[in-house]
Amino acid sequence: MLSALIWVPVLGAVFIALLPESLVARTRQIALAIASAVGIWTIILASQFDVGIPGLQFQESLPWIESLGLTYQLGIDGLSMPLILINSLLVWIAIYASDPNINRPRLYYVLMLVLGGAVAGAFVAQNLLLFFLFYEVELIPLYLVIAIWGGARRGYAATKFLIYTAASGVLILAAFFGLAIISETNSFDYDVVQSQVLPLTTQLLLLIPLVVGFGIKIPVVPFHTWLPDAHVEAPTPASVLLAGVLLKLGTYGLLRFGLGLFPEAWTEIAPWLAWIAVLSVLYGSFAAIAQTDMKKIVAYSSVGHMGYIILASAVATPLSLTGTVAQMISHGLISALLFLLVGVVYSKTGTRDINVLRGLLNPERGLPLIGSLMVVGAMASAGIPGMVGFVAEFIVYRGSLPAFPLQTLLCMVGTGLTAVYFLILINRVFFGRLPESLANLPRIRWQDRLPSIIVTVLVIVLGIQPSWMLRWSNVTIQAMGMEEVNRLVQVESESTRLAETVGDSESVRRLVESTETVPLTSMTNPNSIAFTPGKEAASDKSTEPLGDRLIDNSLPHSKLKPNI
Amino acid sequence: MNLADGVQLVSFAVLAAMMLGAALGVVLLANIVYSAFLLGLVFVSMSGMYILLNAGFVAAAQVLIYVGAVNVLILFGIMLVNKREDFAPVKNVWLGRAATGAVCLGLFALLGTMILATPWVISIAPPAGDDAMVVIGKHFFSDFLLPFELASVLLLMAMIGAIVLARRDLLPDELADQDGREPPVALKLPERPRELISGKK
Amino acid sequence: MDFANLAAQLNTGVILPEGIVLVTLMVVLVGDLITGRASSSRWSPYVGIAGLLAAIVALYFQWTTTTNPISFLGAFNGDALSIVFRGIVALSCAITLLITARYVEQSGTALPEFIVILLTATLGGMFLSGANELVMIFVSLETLSISSYLLTGYMKRDPRSNEASLKYLLIGAASSAIFLYGVSLVYGLSGGETRLSAITTSIVANNGEQSLGVVVALVFVIAGIAFKIAAVPFHQWTPDVYEGSPTPVVAFLSVGSKAAGFALAVRLLVSAFPMVSEQWRFVLTALAILSMVLGNVVALAQTSMKRMLAYSSIAQAGFVMIGLIIGTDAGYASMVFYLLVYLFMNLGGFACVILFTLRTGTDEITEYSGLYQKDPLLTLCLSICLLSLGGIPPLAGFFAKIYLFWAGWQSGAYTLVLLGLVTSVISIYYYIRVVKMMVVKEPEEMSDAVKNYPEIDWKLPGMRPLQVGLVVCLVATSLAGILSNPLFTLANNSVLRTPLLTPATIAPPASGTALLDQPSIHSSNSTLGG
Repeated sequence: MLSALIWVPVLGAVFIALLPESLVARTRQIALAIASAVGIWTIILASQFDVGIPGLQFQESLPWIESLGLTYQLGIDGLSMPLILINSLLVWIAIYASDPNINRPRLYYVLMLVLGGAVAGAFVAQNLLLFFLFYEVELIPLYLVIAIWGGARRGYAATKFLIYTAASGVLILAAFFGLAIISETNSFDYDVVQSQVLPLTTQLLLLIPLVVGFGIKIPVVPFHTWLPDAHVEAPTPASVLLAGVLLKLGTYGLLRFGLGLFPEAWTEIAPWLAWIAVLSVLYGSFAAIAQTDMKKIVAYSSVGHMGYIILASAVATPLSLTGTVAQMISHGLISALLFLLVGVVYSKTGTRDINVLRGLLNPERGLPLIGSLMVVGAMASAGIPGMVGFVAEFIVYRGSLPAFPLQTLLCMVGTGLTAVYFLILINRVFFGRLPESLANLPRIRWQDRLPSIIVTVLVIVLGIQPSWMLRWSNVTIQAMGMEEVNRLVQVESESTRLAETVGDSESVRRLVESTETVPLTSMTNPNSIAFTPGKEAASDKSTEPLGDRLIDNSLPHSKLKPNI
Repeated sequence: MNLADGVQLVSFAVLAAMMLGAALGVVLLANIVYSAFLLGLVFVSMSGMYILLNAGFVAAAQVLIYVGAVNVLILFGIMLVNKREDFAPVKNVWLGRAATGAVCLGLFALLGTMILATPWVISIAPPAGDDAMVVIGKHFFSDFLLPFELASVLLLMAMIGAIVLARRDLLPDELADQDGREPPVALKLPERPRELISGKK
Repeated sequence: MDFANLAAQLNTGVILPEGIVLVTLMVVLVGDLITGRASSSRWSPYVGIAGLLAAIVALYFQWTTTTNPISFLGAFNGDALSIVFRGIVALSCAITLLITARYVEQSGTALPEFIVILLTATLGGMFLSGANELVMIFVSLETLSISSYLLTGYMKRDPRSNEASLKYLLIGAASSAIFLYGVSLVYGLSGGETRLSAITTSIVANNGEQSLGVVVALVFVIAGIAFKIAAVPFHQWTPDVYEGSPTPVVAFLSVGSKAAGFALAVRLLVSAFPMVSEQWRFVLTALAILSMVLGNVVALAQTSMKRMLAYSSIAQAGFVMIGLIIGTDAGYASMVFYLLVYLFMNLGGFACVILFTLRTGTDEITEYSGLYQKDPLLTLCLSICLLSLGGIPPLAGFFAKIYLFWAGWQSGAYTLVLLGLVTSVISIYYYIRVVKMMVVKEPEEMSDAVKNYPEIDWKLPGMRPLQVGLVVCLVATSLAGILSNPLFTLANNSVLRTPLLTPATIAPPASGTALLDQPSIHSSNSTLGG
């Protein structure tokens, strides 16, 4: 089942590589067919995906290399399902949006398909080493795509991307090694390492390299410099994949491995993470304002918007985690849309400089449809209600505000700044009078429009009907968030037993507040899930008042029933 | 101390002084021919040491191989080359020499300390004396059989190598001409010089 | 005493693979004399390869049926570890032969003699992998070394080859002398023992556990070994020798000779110096750190492909040393596994360098630019091999590195592993630089050498084997990682079945000779360990 997501593109890539000369002209169609097959398969998987199960589905397990603790273990849950969907979609779109007359088509499509397969593999891998393997496999194809089909400074940008990502891989591997060595079995299987309870200092020691490693990938601000370079130099389809899916590897890894494996340490570093998120958001937004290159603006806005995900994941309540997933999807779609549009503008006008471009919205000789879509994309990015960006950001803020009010407020400033820089961009590029130099633009073909239109439709539809986006992950997220809560209840109740003081602990207060906000999920998402409070959860937990209170507010996942 | 011990001690002192002096001469003298001859002296005094240790066969072998073969070969080499070259004097040459001297002294001190500080195990087996040849032969055909045989391969290969290095090669172009095949002209290797040094008369 | 009886007493069956190599060597040598230059250049590589493959088959049968590994009254030990290392040496020579024929022929030197010397070096390396006694170690080491000097200087009309040979000879002779001095100290300390198994017992019995003499002997011995495996700071010969000598020789030196050096290191250090294992681990740790850092950093600045591969091989030796230093079962196994994988990826890399040199006459990295246009197979193979050396998944090098680092991490060598991880990121940079040159450059940026690239013709004499070697290395490098279970099993078994490396868990096999005193060694080991 899940293997097909990895192996169809990879074997398809091999097939394209071995294509006889007579068929080379059809490479693009073959690649599209493979991507479509993957897409259809993903849809079939999604239709069979049971949203009511919090754990893994479609599991596959094969022994691989025992001496290494490496097993071929795949599985998908509510956290990875939307990411898989968006990956399959964006791979298809990236291939469709590629220049049909691209130089060296065979290598290009091989690399794109391998890239897609590797990312899918990373999202479904349930073994730490397997995840690392896919995480590293994706490196060389993207490097080559940027280095061969990129812009003027592509060599520099590609190498920078490579070194940064390789360094992040090293940190992640070190953390994984550290984690596996502590487990008695020396196993890298996710469920094995997850089940062990580690002391807090150990957790912190392992979590910090992991956070830095994934932080490079996301990227968070001190480590972000590779991203604008890579985006600016990369060809449009690569930018789409990079922003839409590859950055999500970082946040996905952070949630799956950081939060999933080190819950106690996660709460320790959560305030710091929130501040890093603020830094990313503000720095990304201000930097975006200062840019004159359209692609750089979108790239820096990516840095900013990924900050929201970090903010929400730092809080780690069910609601805020829902926010992370929503924001991952929304950012994946919106940034893909923006990069696609910028790509079209660049390919038609030959420049991305907002000081040069003017009046492209001109209905006769400009790019009216592209311009309109750009306005939609900018609105979505700035969080205008009715579009997916609003839903995501709203859930993120609502989820994070109780825990980190100051940080959340500062991040909200970022949303305002998003409006600022996108308005500057749209105002300069699309409004005004079309100069003569830009008057005779090449004709826009459907091939330029279709990908953007598909993504725009999704952006709007998911904005109106967010439950289609959130239903996949609701139960898993509740489970993840509850685990966090439960673990904390245990930890806190132990500590309170020792100290005999209840309530003055910062994290407990935060938790209580945040769990109170849980019903909001059902508010924003009214018809997805109805919760029935369980009795058994209350009975088998400790009878302490604190625990009771938490559990009354919380939603035990064992009793969750989907009701769609 | 009886007479035998006395003689042995004196011989040792004389041989040691001879060996050290000659060895220093090898290193320090500027004229390479003197160095070569002094090297012979070092070998001879070493074989004297072996005689003092009751190892007559080894002493004979030492003289035969090192003085008779190796040293003579070195002398031949020097005389065949027969090239005098005046090197430009290096500035601050004493600095390098001092450093070398210091390193050598340090090494000597280390090894000296090591030799004095280590409780050496003296072999309890009786000295073979004049039977050494028999003992060595037995070793060659029992526990040292394999290295002994391998040494023959080593020598064979060394001989082949020496021949390969010394012989005059024909170039494949000429070979190809004889055979009537096309010489591979399109391909060039760094190994092949522009002008052929040997092979043509 | 008839011959069969003698052979049984000496247990000569153990050196059957070496015997096959020796016979092959003689066949090539005598056949060359009889048939003449023109025909012998055609058949001699195939005879050599056939002989080596036969030797590998013989090794395989020993692997499955080995009963008594000690032969020649303790001079040679054919245990599982030595079988694996002998296999690596023989295989590396076989692949080197595949890629040699065309190169030597084109350089206008005699091929059969080259093969004879190469086979002798292989013989030395194979004997070194199993040598169990000081005299044997030294003689086989010298067989390997002197053959290597000759091979290095084989292109005698090329001044660079001469220079390389002379440098290698001088530095090698010095290091041999140092090694011999160390070995003679061991001989003295142990009261005249030459068998490795008896040395420790004797030294411990006579000297107590440690003395200055043992440490000095250890340092000298390590200096000799480090020269062979080209570990910093005993690496100075490597770049010059690699650059100047014929490329097939470099390929053999970087894999076969290095593997033999590691076999020597394991055997000598583990069996003769267990009482100072702290010290030798410390010294080797320093060497490994220096090798990884210096090898990888200096490789960044190289412009010649061969020099870059020289520094990369120094760095790779540093990685392999991690397995030796940690000294656990997994450590030794990962070392064996790494060498197995390294064999294919490095030889594959050198095969590509040879092919490129044959076609263009240069090995500057910049001259590779735009190669994909003219020679996709070469580009693919070199890219795969270099990326594998850099440890990019899913190629074999990735798994080898992960195993090595994982073994290191398991035994707590955190500094080494972290340094290894960091330096492998650095190494990706210089490997990818070559890949970038070949793959990324546009046709207009093509170098002159590539512009004048000759028509690809595999029909020239000696090209077919080169192609076979290339494809074998390519396939092995791409698939040995994904399908690596057999290799893992091989590596693990080679360690588990070697009594030397697992004294505590496995009882020594029934020893045929009374000369060996293994149980006492094990007891002394365990007391030391406790």
